Amino acid sequence: MDMFLQSLAQGLLIGSTYGLISLGMGLTYSVSGVINFAHGDLLSLGMFLALACFTAFGLDPYISVFITFPVMVAFGALVYRFLIRPLVGSHVLMVIQLTLGLTFIVQNGLLMTFGGMSHRVPSKIEADLILLGDSVVLRSALAVAFAVSVALAGLLYFVLTRTDTGRSIRAVHQNAKAAALMGISVDRVRTLTFALGVGLLAIAAVLLTPGTPLHPSQGLRYTVISLMVMVLGGMTNFAGILLGGLLFGIAEAFGTVYVSGTSGMIVPYAMFILVLLLRPEGLLKRRAS
Amino acid sequence: MKPEFFTLLRSPAIWLVLAFAATMPLWLPPYYLGIGVLTLIYIAMALSWNIVGGLGGQISLAHSLFLGVGAVFTSALLLKFGINMWVGMLISAALAAIMGVGIAWVDFRFKLGHLSFALITLAFAEIGELVVLGWDFLGGASGLYLPSDKGDLLAFQFGGAKGYFWLALVIAAGCFLVNFAIINSPLGYYLRAIRDNENAAQAVGVALLRNKAIAMAISAALTAIIGTAYARYVAFVDPYLFASPAVVIEVVLIATIGGLGTPFGPMVAALLLVPFGELIRGNFGGVAPGLHYLVYGVLIVVVILSMPRGLVPRIMDVMARRRAS
Amino acid sequence: MLEVVGLNAGYGPVNVLEDVTIRVDEHAFFGLLGANNAGKSTLINALSGTVAARGGRIMFDGHDITGLGPEKVVELGIIQVPEGRLVFPQMSVIDNLMLGGYSKRARGQRRQRLDEVFDLFPRLAERRSQMAGTLSGGEQQMLAIGRGLAANPRVLMLDEPSLGLSPLFVQNIFKALSDLHKAGLTILVVEQNLHLTLSHATRCAVLERGRVVVEGAGDELRNDPNTRRAYLGL
Repeated sequence: MDMFLQSLAQGLLIGSTYGLISLGMGLTYSVSGVINFAHGDLLSLGMFLALACFTAFGLDPYISVFITFPVMVAFGALVYRFLIRPLVGSHVLMVIQLTLGLTFIVQNGLLMTFGGMSHRVPSKIEADLILLGDSVVLRSALAVAFAVSVALAGLLYFVLTRTDTGRSIRAVHQNAKAAALMGISVDRVRTLTFALGVGLLAIAAVLLTPGTPLHPSQGLRYTVISLMVMVLGGMTNFAGILLGGLLFGIAEAFGTVYVSGTSGMIVPYAMFILVLLLRPEGLLKRRAS
Repeated sequence: MKPEFFTLLRSPAIWLVLAFAATMPLWLPPYYLGIGVLTLIYIAMALSWNIVGGLGGQISLAHSLFLGVGAVFTSALLLKFGINMWVGMLISAALAAIMGVGIAWVDFRFKLGHLSFALITLAFAEIGELVVLGWDFLGGASGLYLPSDKGDLLAFQFGGAKGYFWLALVIAAGCFLVNFAIINSPLGYYLRAIRDNENAAQAVGVALLRNKAIAMAISAALTAIIGTAYARYVAFVDPYLFASPAVVIEVVLIATIGGLGTPFGPMVAALLLVPFGELIRGNFGGVAPGLHYLVYGVLIVVVILSMPRGLVPRIMDVMARRRAS
Repeated sequence: MLEVVGLNAGYGPVNVLEDVTIRVDEHAFFGLLGANNAGKSTLINALSGTVAARGGRIMFDGHDITGLGPEKVVELGIIQVPEGRLVFPQMSVIDNLMLGGYSKRARGQRRQRLDEVFDLFPRLAERRSQMAGTLSGGEQQMLAIGRGLAANPRVLMLDEPSLGLSPLFVQNIFKALSDLHKAGLTILVVEQNLHLTLSHATRCAVLERGRVVVEGAGDELRNDPNTRRAYLGL
C-alpha cells in the first residue's frame, strides 16, 4: 500500500510536467496544424541551456530559467518565422520531415557542444525531501515541478478563456479566416503560440533537470512521450492533454516500481496502445479548446 | 507491369553500372570498401522504406522494428536455438511482413492520416527498442555477439568486406527492382493516389487497407532481410543501432533529401551522403562527433525549403529545361 | 466613401474579377447581385484584404487601401460578415462578440457595442453563454452580424446573409439591416436573392462573370433586361 501511494504520488508529480510539455505541442498543433517532431530535442536544448548557465555563471536552474525562458521564446519565434511558416499550407509530410531534420540539428549540435557524456545540473533543492503522512517520501524538486506545472496550466487556461490574446488564439484554431476578418493577425498568433510552446519547454526543462542525467540523445524519448500524451488527450483538447500527462506519469511510475528493469518502461507505452484501441478519439471525447 | 519495367531491364546502362559496382571489391582499399558496404546497405534501406514512405506518402518510423526483427531476432534464433541464419532470415522477413500488415491495419482502423501515422509508428518504434533492451532473449542492453565469420555461405557467412559488398549489392539491386516494379504496376498507381488524397482514392474504389498492407508487407520483409545482412556484417547486434528509431529517421532524411516517389532520389542521396558522412566521421569524428548528422539536418532543412520535391527531381527538372532551351 | 476602380483579382491561375468599378457612397445600402461564380465573394474578400488585388485600386475616404492586410482593413472600420457565417463554434456567444470587438478601433467601447447588439437581437442575449456551434442557422447569422457590429464598422459588408435560412429569418435579417442603415450605417450586401435585395437596397450593381454589367437604383434595375440576363443566363 505504501509503495502504491508512493508511486501514485510520484507519477502524478512527474506526469504534470509531461502534461505541460505536451500542452506546448498541442497548442502549436491546434493553431497551426504543425506537429513539431523536434519538440523533445528543444526540451533537451532547454536542459542544456540550464547546464550552460550553471557551468558559466554557477546559476541554479531555478534562477537561470529567467534567462533561458526568453531565449527559448525568441528561438522558437525564429524557427517558426524562417523554417515552419514557409511550409504552412503545404503537404503535412513536409513539416514532419523538416522537424525531423531539426531533430538532427539540435541533437548533434548539443553533442558537438557538450560531448557525449552524461551531465548533471546541480540545484540547491535537489537533495531535499518532503514527507507526506508517514509513508510517502517525495523529492522537493518533484513537488516544485508539480506546483509550477499546475500553476502554469491554470494560467494558460485563464489566458485562453479570459483575455483577448487567448481568445484570438482560440479563434485562429477554430477558424483562421474568420479570425483574420476580426482583425486578428493570424500569422502573429501562430508565431506567438509556437514561440510560447517552445518557451514552456525552457520551464519544463528546469523542472525535469534536478536528479535527471542529461544526454544529447535524450530528445527523441521526450518527443515520443509528448506525442503520446497529446494523442491520449485527443490532440487539441487541452484538459485531455493534461490528463494524458498525468496518466502517462502514473503508468511510468507504476511500471518502474512494480515491473523489474527495462520492461517496466514499457508499461506507459502499453497503456497508450490500450487507450488508443479503446478510445481512439482520446481520453475526453468532447472536443473543447 | 508496364513496358517501362522491361525497358529498364534491357537498358545497358543499368547493367554497366552494376558490373562496375561488382568489380569494386577487387580494387577498393579496405577502408573505402567498408564505406561501400555501408552505402549499399543504406541505399537498400532507403529504397525499401521508399515503398511505403515515398510511393505511399506514409512517413513510417516503425521500420526500426523490421530492421530489428531481421537483425536481433534472427541472431537470437541462431544463438539461442541454433537456427540457421538463412532460415532465420526468412522467418524474420515473414514476421516483419505480418507486423507491417498489423500496422497497416491499425492505420486503417483508426483512419490515422499522414500525421498520426508518423506519430504512432514512432511510438511503436520506441516500444520495440524497449522490448529489445528489456528482454534477455534478444540480448538486452548489452546486445548479441555473432560467432566469428568463417566464410561459410551455408551459415550466412560471407567472409570479409568483399563478400558483404557483393551481398549488399545484390540486396540493394533487388530493392531497386522491387521499387521499379511497383511503380510500374497497378499497386504503384494506387499508392500514389493514396498519397495524394486518401479520401479521393477511396472514393474512386482504391482499396486502402489492401494496398497499404501489401506495400507495408513488402517494405517490411525487405527491411528485415537488410537487417540480417547488416547484423551478420558487423557481427555485433547493438540494440541502440538496430532497434532504435534513430537509424530509420536517418534513412527518412536521406530519402527525402534525394526526393521521394522515384527509386532514383533515395538511391542517389544515399550514394552521396553516406560516404560523405563516413568521411566526415573518419576525419572529424574525434573533434566533432555528430558533425555529419548535423550536416544531414541542415541539408534536409535547405532541401525542404528550397526544393520541396527533393534533389533528384530538381536536377531532372533543370536538365529537362536545359535540353528544351 | 468606398471606391473600387478597375479591380482585377483571382485565385491561382484563374482571374475572377476583371476591371470591376463600383462606388459605395456614405450611408448607402448597396446591393451587389449576381449568380453563382459571378465573383461577388471574391470582390468582398478583395475589399477585406483576404484576396490580393492584381490590378486596379481600392479607395476608402480618398485613401488608397489596395494591398492592405485584413487586420489593417478592419482597423479602418471595413468589416465583413463572411459567407457561411463562420462563427467560432466552440466559443460562447459572448466570446464571439468579444472577438468581434478585438480590433483597437473597437476595443474601448466594446461593452457598449455589445449592449447595442443585444438590443438589436434579444435572442443573442438569451443565449449569451451558449456555445455558438449549438445555435440554429438563423441565430448564427444574427451572431455573425452582431460580431461584425461589435467591430464598430463604418462599412458593414455581408456575404450572402440569406444563405440556408428560412424565409422568416431572412426577413428578420433584412429588417435588421434596414434599421441599421436608417441609423446611419453604410451597408454593402452581396446576395443571390434578387427581389429582397432590390427592395431594401438604395443602390445596386449586378456582376456577371467578374464584370459589372448594370448599376443603378434598385427600382431601375428591377426592369433592366441585363439584370435578368445575368441571373438567368438569357
